[in-house]
Amino acid sequence: MTGEAIPSPHKGEGKGEGSSTRVYRRPVPAGWWARRSHYFWYIVREFTALPMALWLLWLLIDIRSAAVRPVNFHPQTSIAFVAFSVVCLAFALYHSFTFLSLAGVIIHVKVLDRPVPSRLIVLSQFALWAVASIVIGFVLIWFAR
Amino acid sequence: MSEPAHGPAGGRPHAGKPAYTHLFWWFMFAQGGVIAAILVPVHILLQGVLGPLGVVDTADRHYASWNTLLGNPLVKLYLLVLIAFPFFHFAHRLRYLLVDLGIPSARGTVAQVVFYGAAVAVTLLALAILLTTAPISLG
Repeated sequence: MTGEAIPSPHKGEGKGEGSSTRVYRRPVPAGWWARRSHYFWYIVREFTALPMALWLLWLLIDIRSAAVRPVNFHPQTSIAFVAFSVVCLAFALYHSFTFLSLAGVIIHVKVLDRPVPSRLIVLSQFALWAVASIVIGFVLIWFAR
Repeated sequence: MSEPAHGPAGGRPHAGKPAYTHLFWWFMFAQGGVIAAILVPVHILLQGVLGPLGVVDTADRHYASWNTLLGNPLVKLYLLVLIAFPFFHFAHRLRYLLVDLGIPSARGTVAQVVFYGAAVAVTLLALAILLTTAPISLG
């Protein structure tokens, strides 16, 4: 029996051979994301982009409202808008929690040749979020005169 | 953050060449995500919920104060960053959301042009609105 009788499973590796091998792709059902809660929340995380985008487009309209005459300036008061904002806020908060929680995995910092613990990095991101929110809130409220 | 296996602009960099395009789109994706996470919620809370409900008084609910605030060049720059960067993050997320939901063509060049083109369009629109609304004033 020669060595060619049974082809090596590693044949062609690194030599360009086998590149035309057809790869079997397991079909994924359309509703795969509804099968497990983990998948569902992953899709929700990706979807957060849409409501946030819509709300930021509204902010552009809000900015543009300053260009009209004072008598035509009517700030938003409708309940429908508040409901829309509440939904957007829920998605925005979910984005913040998921995105900032990843900081410990992404950011690697060393202080005195010692790696900073990932929990501390995540904590610093949430602290930054809190400080930024307080500063922005202060400016928005302080200038309302 | 989305899987690192695919860059926001798709494809893979060639070995030996700096992948400047990838670097740019990843930078915009990551910074957009950070800005959306840190800055956007408080704006929605105050300008979208508490302000309209009358719980707090915010600057955008008064013509004079809103114009004063928007006339500040630093505020204009801040608003441009607040609005423009997240859209590059959103473009990537929504494109791969379509891929995940069974639309593989969302990986393609046409989809990239549409989604990142939309982000560029929003950036230009925001720039135009900020430059034509409330004259710049340092007072």
